[in-house]
Amino acid sequence: MSLRRQISRGFAALTNRAAADRDVADEVGQYIDAATAAHVARGLSPDDARRAALLEVGNTTRVREQVRGYGWESAVESFITDLRYALRMLRKNPVFALVTIAVVSLGTGAVTTIFSATNAMLLRSLPGVTDGSRLVSIDRKDRDLKGGVSASVPFLVNFRSRANDFSGIAAWSQLPLTVTIGGAGHAAYGNLVSGTFFTVLGVRPELGRLFTAEEDGAPLASAVMVISDGFWRSAFGADSTVIGRVVQVNGHPYTIIGVVSRAFRGIYTPLKSDAWVPLTMTAQLRPGHDLTDLSDYWLKLVARLAPGVSRAAAQQSATVLTAAWAESGIEGASWARKYNTARLVPLTGLPEDASNAIIGFFLLLLGASGLVLLIASVNVAAMLGARAIARRREMAVRAALGARRGRLVRQLLTETIVLFAFGAAGGIAIALAATRALERLPLPDEISLDLAPDYRAIAFALLASTLMGVAFGLAPAFQAARADVAQRIRDDSPSGGARRSRSTNVLIIAQLAMSLLLLVGAGLFLRALDRGSRIDPGFDSSGVVVTALNPQAWGYDSVKSSAFYETLRGRVAAIPGVTAVGYTDVVPLTAQNNGAWVRRPEDRSGSDATRVRAEIARVDEGFFGVVKIPVRAGTAITRSDDSRSAKIAVINETFAKKFWPGGSAVGRTFLMDSVLVTVAGVVRDSKYVWLTEAPTPFAYFPTAQQWQGWQPRLTLMVRATLPTDRIGVEIQRAVQAIDPALPRPAVTALRQENAVVLLPQRVAAMVTGALGAVGLLMATVGLYGIMSHSVTRRRREIGIRVALGARGSDVLGMVVKEGMKLASFGVAIGLLLAVGATRLMASYLFNVSPLDVITFVAMSALFLAVAFVSSYLPARRAARVDPMKALRTD
Amino acid sequence: MEEPSTDVIQGTMDMLILKTLSLEPMHGFGISRRIEQISRGVFKVNPGSLLTAFQRLERGGWLDSEWRQTENSRRAKFYSLTRTGRKQLEFETADWTRRATAVARLLRAEG
Repeated sequence: MSLRRQISRGFAALTNRAAADRDVADEVGQYIDAATAAHVARGLSPDDARRAALLEVGNTTRVREQVRGYGWESAVESFITDLRYALRMLRKNPVFALVTIAVVSLGTGAVTTIFSATNAMLLRSLPGVTDGSRLVSIDRKDRDLKGGVSASVPFLVNFRSRANDFSGIAAWSQLPLTVTIGGAGHAAYGNLVSGTFFTVLGVRPELGRLFTAEEDGAPLASAVMVISDGFWRSAFGADSTVIGRVVQVNGHPYTIIGVVSRAFRGIYTPLKSDAWVPLTMTAQLRPGHDLTDLSDYWLKLVARLAPGVSRAAAQQSATVLTAAWAESGIEGASWARKYNTARLVPLTGLPEDASNAIIGFFLLLLGASGLVLLIASVNVAAMLGARAIARRREMAVRAALGARRGRLVRQLLTETIVLFAFGAAGGIAIALAATRALERLPLPDEISLDLAPDYRAIAFALLASTLMGVAFGLAPAFQAARADVAQRIRDDSPSGGARRSRSTNVLIIAQLAMSLLLLVGAGLFLRALDRGSRIDPGFDSSGVVVTALNPQAWGYDSVKSSAFYETLRGRVAAIPGVTAVGYTDVVPLTAQNNGAWVRRPEDRSGSDATRVRAEIARVDEGFFGVVKIPVRAGTAITRSDDSRSAKIAVINETFAKKFWPGGSAVGRTFLMDSVLVTVAGVVRDSKYVWLTEAPTPFAYFPTAQQWQGWQPRLTLMVRATLPTDRIGVEIQRAVQAIDPALPRPAVTALRQENAVVLLPQRVAAMVTGALGAVGLLMATVGLYGIMSHSVTRRRREIGIRVALGARGSDVLGMVVKEGMKLASFGVAIGLLLAVGATRLMASYLFNVSPLDVITFVAMSALFLAVAFVSSYLPARRAARVDPMKALRTD
Repeated sequence: MEEPSTDVIQGTMDMLILKTLSLEPMHGFGISRRIEQISRGVFKVNPGSLLTAFQRLERGGWLDSEWRQTENSRRAKFYSLTRTGRKQLEFETADWTRRATAVARLLRAEG
């Protein structure tokens, strides 16, 4: 077959249909002429000859259509005809068209929004890089892949010099920075990165240049910085002359050499990334650290697989290298030996543990939104079914005129798909708006989301709605195109027959059941949110504001930092209305934690079996007063617990019970990092990381007693009688009074910070609530529609009943009963579904049972009430039927 | 007894057209008449099927067509065989002969 000819002739016929038609008509005409001439030659009269020729050819129109029907373009042509016809039909029924499109839009919009968010968070490869599928992170883990450590610079250097399976290896670490531009300090989410970072990832600059091997040169030789598109816009007003500009970074001069492309949002996409500086500048930006430290585990590694090397193969060779390093004992610490395994994970924009944690959550939301699309489709199927009845005569007439059944089905299906295509467009518009709303959720400052639908989400929307269109349009199309012409044309009565109404009833019940399932889910999340906000955290967050401070990012060393903290404490305490001031390195109940292993003093075995995991925090003497955590025994931390005095800790009740059950803990000792610590006091248990956590052993250490070498980053906590914004301004003023070059720190209410731990429940309640409301709306509209339709259909019957003496209230009761019967079926099936499905939500429910009776009963009641209203309205119309009129009109 | 069928045997229309055109370019009616004559009236060609077959063969690259004058100075669409058309004819002829021989042999054996 000559494909080229097929295509070119087909297109010629398509683009010039008139010429193609004429050509065929001419040929048929010429055939008849020739046949006539042949008959004349055999002796027939011209008239007879022509008649004979025409008889021979038969129906010329039919012949022409037969010839024109050949070739692929005729299928296209009939599709275009169907499309035109479909659009005309929809214009003729604008209400039906608009309602259907709105319903499909809502369904597609819901599922596309959630898919788009899932895609952005979990599915799509890292944006802004080249060939992201070949990029991996290299994680150093223990043999069971449970615990892990970050990389040190010597580990990186050793690994990079020996690994063969990668075409490039880069390292990075987050480091908050203070960028001072023209005297004003900006807090920036910075990163220290190796010179290979951008080349390995394949990131392109928007302006200037990015780092090269040059930036991996001598320590402290490259005081240069690359900034993000967002930071360029917010801090520099998108000034194109920014390249070459010198700014202060933590007080040191740095030259801006480039702006990265807008698409690149860093390795962990939900976290803000404002600036990148070379790893070689470590000693300047992280005072007290140098690049040769074997036990400074702070880098994350990313690499590009060499061409032709699989991830599994590279993982094997990387493990060999890691094991050799770990077992060489070069790192000194014995515990480091067990981290002898390398794990290679594709770069998705999230740390692996984070994506594992949210997959279930997103699947749950996807399921819920899928239900909405299903409800929408069922709704549309019911409407199409009703319309199929109304169009039976039209179809019968067309069938009588020679349209084959397949042709009619194709025509009707085209109409449905046109509706769903419009619906998909509407759905994409809804998803654009809804993802923008989700991005504006009150999230912690360092998080910024980009959930907008990409080509994948848009393709998903089109695919989902087309599939639904075909799946749910096929049955009504076949129904409408059912043959039996004579029967149809004769059949004048508007009653559709019992079979049809049963299939519509099934659709309605299915809708009701699915929307009840959604409502129950939403109700459970609401209950969980309510329960979560009632859980006593064990401390008092009301009236407390917090301010994260980072003197290291300002270029302060530890002496200067301590002095700063001390001065600030004094200034803030002097603000009128402030009742307590304290510091901590871990703000309670903000999903942050800091774990450590502790042992009994007599246990010096060093074995893993006898140690106990505890959460720890560094706090000062003011902390317990600010959050009102009462001391149960002994004393809290005091000012005299400083570097010169004996090491002490304040522990919580769970810690005390675990180590010294029955006895008093005060005065006892325990070991942490082989340092002997004396218990000075015991405080009440509270919630530390999550609301759902089990009682956790917790130890507070004085901020003034450091033995791990680094100065923790402290957060100022202030209890005041002033409103948050007032006290915020005062604190910012106090900071800048100490050093005017410091960036103005953010001051937030502790209560607002704590809200983060309820974020999953809040998002879930919001999303399922919205989905449930949409589902309920569609289901009730569906029920209302079906009841109205049934009342119209049964006008005559009702008229007869009334004529025979039925009262209005009898008729009312009859119709309402019919509606409520459907609704009860829907509720029963919906509850069964819910019993099966809500188990999947259990881990998000704060001990609210997935079969929570209150939720199930309340939602069923709400549902039946709404169903009652939507069958009562048509019933009232039925009760007013005037028998004389009803009987006459038929 | 039924009247003997004059339908063209299924699947042979293309071959008959190609064979007819292998002698000289011809228009539709001419081809139809020629097939009837040579088959001595065994086959009567349905014009609709014939013209559709032309579309198919032309798309397939086996026929070319052009409008020109007939001997009695009328305009008609003339079809001619292309080189691939000639090859296709050889192939179909061989194929048909092989199959027809086989069928004939079978019928003889049954008899």
